[in-house]
Amino acid sequence: MSPLTLALSQRILERLMPPAQAEALLGDLLEERRLRLQAGSEVSVSGWYWRQLASSVPALLWASMRRGAWLVTVVTAVASFIAAFGIQLVLESVLSPMTTSKSVRAVVGILSFAAALAACGYVAASIRLGAARLLAFLVFAATCAMLATSTRAPLWYEGSLLVLGPVATIAGATLSGWLRRVWL
Amino acid sequence: MFCYIEQMPRGEFLGSLEQIVMLAVVRLGSDAYGMTVRREIEERTGREISIGAVYATLERLEAKGYVSSFTGEPTAERGGRAKRHFEIEAAGHRVLNASQEALRNMSEGLSRRWKRA
Repeated sequence: MSPLTLALSQRILERLMPPAQAEALLGDLLEERRLRLQAGSEVSVSGWYWRQLASSVPALLWASMRRGAWLVTVVTAVASFIAAFGIQLVLESVLSPMTTSKSVRAVVGILSFAAALAACGYVAASIRLGAARLLAFLVFAATCAMLATSTRAPLWYEGSLLVLGPVATIAGATLSGWLRRVWL
Repeated sequence: MFCYIEQMPRGEFLGSLEQIVMLAVVRLGSDAYGMTVRREIEERTGREISIGAVYATLERLEAKGYVSSFTGEPTAERGGRAKRHFEIEAAGHRVLNASQEALRNMSEGLSRRWKRA
């Protein structure tokens, strides 16, 4: 089995269950794969391996949700998402009256959007790293939906929102991880 | 039967997959771990089951206190990964017996009806 297949399997399983359990499950799969290789071809055994892995995902996902790990991640991400837009609204309403120029207002809007998401990405990653990733995805999806329904904004503004939103979230999360490593 | 059921706390019947997994663990004894449990179920029931479903069921049973697990030694054929062995606890034996008994009692005398149908 290629190291890439092994690494990918491990990555999938570790997302769905505690690392020690994922190791044991992967060991079981490898042991049975070795047994099956004595009687079957590499191609058929490879098919069996991936079928086993794929059909395991729903059950493990459900078990992970029952454990509560996913619920905390989703709740943290959604709460951070709502908080980010709240912060952005406050920042924009405070900063916008300071200028009458439309383009300056747009830049202020983008910067406040990025700052709010960086702060919320930082907090979300401090609670759960997965929550920051989910937040970045939510921001990207929400920005896409927002841009698809409104065509009035200039292209540079739309592009900045699309790129800066997820990037700022991940930057906040990276800062949180880096500070944790420095302090601990 | 009713006396037996009354002794159990409410909701303490096992689902069909839980019963099958627990029976496999009982059959395998000290050799019960993910792969052997999965193979035992497939061989005896002819039902294809994923290793993930076996682990998820065992995790649920462990949380209820019906089975316990311990980590074995890492082995080369598993790529240096340790086995996670499972064994049935006393509470597991009790609930398994009760579930089997309840099924037996519920199906008692129905074989003639099934034949007629």
